[in-house]
Amino acid sequence: MHTREPDQPLDDAALAQAIAAAAPRVDTAAEAELYRRLAPRVRHYGLRHLRDAHAAEDLMQQVLLMTLERLRAGRLRQPEKLASFVLGMSRMVVLEARRGTARREGLLRTYGDVPEAVDPPEQRDLDEAKLSSCLEWLPERERSVLVMGFFADKPADTIARELGLTLVNTRVIRHRALLKLRECMNMDDTPP
Amino acid sequence: MSSPICIAPIPYAALVEYWFGELPQNEDERIEVHLLDCAQCSERLGDLVKLGAGISSVFRNGGVRAVISPSFLQAMKREGLRVREYRVAPGGSVNCTISAADDAVVSRLQATLEDATRVDLVHLYEQGESRLPDIPFEPAAGEVLFCPSAASLKKSPAHTATIRLLAVDETGEHPIAEYTFVHTPS
Repeated sequence: MHTREPDQPLDDAALAQAIAAAAPRVDTAAEAELYRRLAPRVRHYGLRHLRDAHAAEDLMQQVLLMTLERLRAGRLRQPEKLASFVLGMSRMVVLEARRGTARREGLLRTYGDVPEAVDPPEQRDLDEAKLSSCLEWLPERERSVLVMGFFADKPADTIARELGLTLVNTRVIRHRALLKLRECMNMDDTPP
Repeated sequence: MSSPICIAPIPYAALVEYWFGELPQNEDERIEVHLLDCAQCSERLGDLVKLGAGISSVFRNGGVRAVISPSFLQAMKREGLRVREYRVAPGGSVNCTISAADDAVVSRLQATLEDATRVDLVHLYEQGESRLPDIPFEPAAGEVLFCPSAASLKKSPAHTATIRLLAVDETGEHPIAEYTFVHTPS
């Protein structure tokens, strides 16, 4: 394992370089840190494309195992392009998932000693009683647009057509409603 | 970019449009690379995902009412919700209930809506009334689908309620139709 000054956190590219430079040894700390950082990001990618929490979890594990595998093998020549590298693998795994093929079990057998990810934020509990109360305060149009959007994954153009609204108006309604909900739920800062 | 401060954060509206797959392909790809590179923007997307999952869960558990579309009603059934439907003609009355096994009740209020620009839904109870102003509706649909909070309905004792649809315009309010629900607990 490499030694580093504890008060100087490495960026993603430097972690990738550290993992590659350690081969054939394993820089456990660098791998654990990179895994911790990338896990929620890749999981969000999986949720966005697969719309299924379990499938997204599987995708996250598979992509991160493959990433570490390639880093250990020195197959990432430009560490500053780690995000593009991970995106490429994520796309490939989504395509595989859609084709019903799975490499995960084999990878886990080979590289099963990688660290587990921390729980991503969306897995932590949200106060649903409070959210229900916040939703009740919204005007009817705003509540309908949010419920139809998030429960049934309906994009704005579909909702607009089904509720007799314009596309622009639907997006405005949705945006306004989300800002109100965030404020009602005390979800930190005002987004940009 | 794993620096503590993101110098080009993705606007919230763009994050939402990304989540629903509404962006042009090149913009979608640009955001995707940024999200895999930026802890802060990814965390903000995580907040949106969490909120969306919460909204979905609250609705699934009957914790909130909503005016919905016929297509959304089909989506509820595809998602495995057990839905009790009551189709009521203008001026009609229906005996209704909700059982512990039901996830939702949907009132399909038949109405002529083509000339309406704004519709209010007024709920008249024995104790008073509540008004839902400016509900969404598709003028050509010929009906309004109202899904009350199943959790509240399951706690309701036997009662009779009236729903009144009103067209509202600059000249005032005009009744569209009225519907009577005779509710009995299961």
